[in-house]
Amino acid sequence: MKLIDLAIKDLSHTFRSVFSLVMMFGAPLLITGLLYFAFGGLASSEGGFNMPVTKVQVVNLDQVPDRTSGFAAGQMLVDFLQNEDFAGVLEITLVADELDARAAVDAQKAGVAMIIPLNFTTAALDPKTEAYVTLYQDPTLAIGPGIVKDLVSHFLDGFAGSKIAANVISAQLSARNVGVDPAIAGRAASQYSAWLTSSGHSQEAEGSGALKIRSPRGETQTADQGSEMIGPIMAGMIVFFVFFMGANGAESIIREDEEGTLARLFTTPTSQATILGGKFFGVLVSLIIQTAVLLIASTLIFKIDWGQLPSTALVAAALIVAATGFGVMLMSFIRNTRQTGPMMGGVLTLTGMMGGLFTNGIPNLPPAFDTATLAMPQGWAMRGWRLALAGASINEILLPVIVMFLMGAASFAIGMLFFRKRFA
Amino acid sequence: MINGKAIQVQDLYKNFGNVYAVKGVSFEIPAGEIFSLLGPNGAGKSTTISMLSCLLQPAQGDALVMGHSIIHDPQRVKASIGVVPQEIALYPDLSARENLNFWGKMYGLRGEALRQRVDEVLEVIGLADRQNGKVGTFSGGMKRRVNIGAALLHKPEVIIMDEPTVGIDPQSRRHILDNVKELNRQGMTVLYTTHYMEEAQELSDHIAIMDQGEVIAHGTHEELVRIVGELDRLDLSISAESEKIMAKWQNTEGVRQISAENGNLTLLVEDSNRVLPRLFESATRAGVRITSLDIQEPNLEAVFLQLTGRALRD
Repeated sequence: MKLIDLAIKDLSHTFRSVFSLVMMFGAPLLITGLLYFAFGGLASSEGGFNMPVTKVQVVNLDQVPDRTSGFAAGQMLVDFLQNEDFAGVLEITLVADELDARAAVDAQKAGVAMIIPLNFTTAALDPKTEAYVTLYQDPTLAIGPGIVKDLVSHFLDGFAGSKIAANVISAQLSARNVGVDPAIAGRAASQYSAWLTSSGHSQEAEGSGALKIRSPRGETQTADQGSEMIGPIMAGMIVFFVFFMGANGAESIIREDEEGTLARLFTTPTSQATILGGKFFGVLVSLIIQTAVLLIASTLIFKIDWGQLPSTALVAAALIVAATGFGVMLMSFIRNTRQTGPMMGGVLTLTGMMGGLFTNGIPNLPPAFDTATLAMPQGWAMRGWRLALAGASINEILLPVIVMFLMGAASFAIGMLFFRKRFA
Repeated sequence: MINGKAIQVQDLYKNFGNVYAVKGVSFEIPAGEIFSLLGPNGAGKSTTISMLSCLLQPAQGDALVMGHSIIHDPQRVKASIGVVPQEIALYPDLSARENLNFWGKMYGLRGEALRQRVDEVLEVIGLADRQNGKVGTFSGGMKRRVNIGAALLHKPEVIIMDEPTVGIDPQSRRHILDNVKELNRQGMTVLYTTHYMEEAQELSDHIAIMDQGEVIAHGTHEELVRIVGELDRLDLSISAESEKIMAKWQNTEGVRQISAENGNLTLLVEDSNRVLPRLFESATRAGVRITSLDIQEPNLEAVFLQLTGRALRD
């Protein structure tokens, strides 16, 4: 009973402290929120990310020769860009005059002006003719023009392939004194282009298309784009600030020692085990509350899907045990509260960095780095959260959970050893 | 309790590394008494009561509190004592009532009994009307009173107070001294440490004077004063460096003891009427002017000076 009384007293101290409340709830949500808006522009009403729509003024000057049997490369490019798949990112407007299109970009009424040259179809059919599609872009924009450039390059690569093929066929047939009917060549180019478009679509369906976005579980859900990105960031914040509060809670032993209340507690008929146990129980409960609130709040605010409830609960429990143990061990090494600032700020930031908490958003990190993060309990916590976010089952998250429990228990035992020795 | 003794201290030693803070301290406190440990800072008073409170393990010796050994039965010792530490050992972000509630629980009180006892203690310490104020916002004197109140909740048989009046205003000090007397009237045995001679003199049935880890004198106020016999104590201020005149006065007939601190001189003399003219004469010859003079009857300050050659001051 005294153990609970001690824990309640510490909890009331924690929840009356503005600093503690900010570090428990305010800071992790605020930082994640800032990153959420910074990376995603503004969130959509559904909570996901909206890629900004790029206005493209297209000037199609392409003049189709009579002999091509209706094959018009310029119009194919226009059709390609007007494909409904790109409607969310491109807004295509056809204009007749190149100068008008450029003026619209200069006036920032459009992000890109695309000029298809006069001889575009001819160049597509004739190996000896060259043509250039001109992109005129607003220099202050990067993403939208980049997408247009990639799409046009993708389209032109197809024509380059068809030109090479046409060259080879033409050379082979000429060598055998056989002429090539321009109408047949036009139909072949048209069929090739159709194949290209359908090929591009099928690639997208498999997930390798230029704009294909997948959810962690491989489902095509635009609203989950935010979750995919923001989930690990929020997880990193939860891990860092739960570890911080674990150490902060354990610091109360040092503070009570300095303020004389710990010595006074030792003069009451309360065993040392109950006193230390009560204090650590208080830390544990405060971390449970912190983690639960952060998970619920981030689900509501950022629409993060934390995966299956049992897996999430298990990862959270393991995180709390690891953070409590680590905090107790950390605080057992210091002598007074003047040392707690550098210790908590320095060691937790360093171990957090080594645990990969601040590199969640960086893609393609070397595998060795991912392995190195596992030297820290924070690294295992992040691994657990990533698996939970990906919808892993309990069996799949058992390894990081067990390691976290073991690391927490070991560091708690070391901390208790030092504390008991100190207060013996 | 054995033979009516609330506390029996038997040859206690405590060392911190090579330094002995307490060296063979022994004394007994009859139940229902106020007993003071008097001595300057660093005399070993706090270390002694830390051992009696089971906070420190003695290097040697033992003590019985209400018949229980501090070494073999610390939990029962703790249940029978209330400790008022020298520093304010309270939670500043909790109110006076919340603090008392918490400390009451640590002594095993619960429910209605706890609520009633907290009400009573708030009345005793005179803070019933401020019970919901946060302790962190209280004045030093009010904090001291809550600090005392937290040790009274479980109605201990022995209350141990470590310099409870340090650094507070005269009004709060008066309140605390009256509280101590009242608690004693209610039957509590009080072990009180102080370096204020007046407090020990006013409160105590018995006094032990400590210096450098040892009890150098022990008895009632009257018994202790008898140590210095009929000696008068003179407190003087002079216009020059004390070294200039001390050597001369040391050798003046009738002067038994002399000490200097911060330009003030304290002398123990056999008969102030006879000695004073000699002191004035030698001062005049040395070119030193006596700027103030106070003649006091024999007291504990004189006893300490007589025993140690030093004044009992901070």
